Amino acid sequence: MQARIERLRRNLTGTLPFIAPVHVMVLGVIVIPSLFVVWLSFHASTFGQAATFVGFDNYVRVLSDSYFWRSLLNTVIIIAVAVHLELVIGLGMALLFAAGLPFQRLLLVVVLAPYAISEVTAVAMWRFLFDPDVGPVTVAIRSLGLPPLDWTFIPEHGLALVGLLTIWLHLPFTFVILYAARLAIPKDLYEAGKTDGASPIQLFRNITLPLLAPAMLIAMLFRYIFAFRLFSEVWLMTQGGPARTTEVVAVYLYLEAFRYNSFGTAAATAWIMVIISLLLASGYIWRLRKETAANAH
Amino acid sequence: MRTDRLLSGMGKALAVAAIVLWSIFPIAFIVLSSFKPGRDIFAVPPKFFFEPTFAHYLNLWERWGSFFDGLLNSLIVTAGAALLAVAASSLAGFVYSRYSSRMLSGSLFFLICIRLIPPIVVTLPLFPMVNWMGLNDTHLILILLYATFFVSLGTVLMRTFIDQVPRDLDEAALLDGASRLTILRKIILPLVAPGMIAVAVFVVVFAWNEFLFAFIFTATKAKTAPFVLSEMISSVDGVDWGVLFAASTIQLAPVLLFVIFMNRFLVAGLTAGATKG
Repeated sequence: MQARIERLRRNLTGTLPFIAPVHVMVLGVIVIPSLFVVWLSFHASTFGQAATFVGFDNYVRVLSDSYFWRSLLNTVIIIAVAVHLELVIGLGMALLFAAGLPFQRLLLVVVLAPYAISEVTAVAMWRFLFDPDVGPVTVAIRSLGLPPLDWTFIPEHGLALVGLLTIWLHLPFTFVILYAARLAIPKDLYEAGKTDGASPIQLFRNITLPLLAPAMLIAMLFRYIFAFRLFSEVWLMTQGGPARTTEVVAVYLYLEAFRYNSFGTAAATAWIMVIISLLLASGYIWRLRKETAANAH
Repeated sequence: MRTDRLLSGMGKALAVAAIVLWSIFPIAFIVLSSFKPGRDIFAVPPKFFFEPTFAHYLNLWERWGSFFDGLLNSLIVTAGAALLAVAASSLAGFVYSRYSSRMLSGSLFFLICIRLIPPIVVTLPLFPMVNWMGLNDTHLILILLYATFFVSLGTVLMRTFIDQVPRDLDEAALLDGASRLTILRKIILPLVAPGMIAVAVFVVVFAWNEFLFAFIFTATKAKTAPFVLSEMISSVDGVDWGVLFAASTIQLAPVLLFVIFMNRFLVAGLTAGATKG
């Protein structure tokens, strides 16, 4: 017992300098500022003025602002459509790759390419490709006799374009997670299934899908959480316009803070974002808590 | 049976073609267009054979000097953030791999949860604080921000990689009287270079491309390349597409090549990052 305590004490004091840099950075740049956001959210303040305590006023104002609800709805729509499409396409690609392709390594690099592209550069590309007058994709769609995306005027089209761009940028992530998980499934399982006379569809339903489910869940969770922060794509594509119809929550927050100088309501929006993110991840956090606790002994 | 094979082969080929087109076409189109003479950029149908020209690059050089300053700023910030994140993550990952206690596992859990906080949240209090400390529009603030938002993932990754190094190695050195820092530097780090590269790849791609923080915390002196690109996109006197394509090509080429050469580390990092927290 004495020896155990002694070892523990030596462990902790000796290891502190090693973990200190990471924790100082995280505390100083993320945790303390986030707690300050809580304080801000209960005060009315504009930049350069003394703050006054207003209770839940800021939250009430945000939650009764129709622009906030519009932005939340837009965010939810983009996440619901983009993330699930990414999962389905990513799954299809993972299975295709797992079945074996010629030039596999080269194709993998090709698929990863969009991961390297900045949101800003991607917006430049897509704005030109879909330019309402001269964009090659617009011209191609029009020459097929179909109505092109009129994304500068019609909010739904603007959101659709942002959704497409989001999928393009993040498909590599979803694909890699699912592909790695698919490769981790032992080959014997499929061979055993085949000797039992299972059809490819049965193999997929009874082996692939259940064994991929955890990875799909993780990929989906991460993508929910990261897509919820969506800012640059929307800001650079539509600036939230026309008439504030294509705003997402992060753009709403930015405008409240840096255009309307209303730090209180922006802070309330920020905490609503944090709470929604934590709720989205609650299942993941729960599992993690159990794992880290189990590792402690 | 043979037609079956043929059909599935054709289906596969079509799927592969669609994937390649989807992933590469936007990039290739922009890179190609940056070398097209002005009128060919808007040609219908798009021209794939043309007389290449550097006119847009020259225009970029003459009219957007700030873009090249931006590239230099991006380089400084990216290198700084990658070094800081790799160093801090390696130190912490070592301890989280080799020691265990209730406090350590609690603090690791806390680190992982931090990843859930959206970056835009911290801009609100940091904006006045950064101004007050005179860090606004400096390389340092971006380096700190970029590195910090990746140290939790970095720590988890380094722990995963260090876990794979046999403990006998450092325990033997410990008996010989080596300090923890020496063990980390001399024994562990050389063996986990792939892990450090994986962390660096994440930070480099993020820092080189990031827009939101650069947009909020820089103005002129430390403005990064993506920020200058965004100014070109929303230029009031209409977008000069040729110049924008030239600038986009210069911005994306290095990081694209980097990802291509480092793809193994990127895949390893993504997989470990998602499954280990």
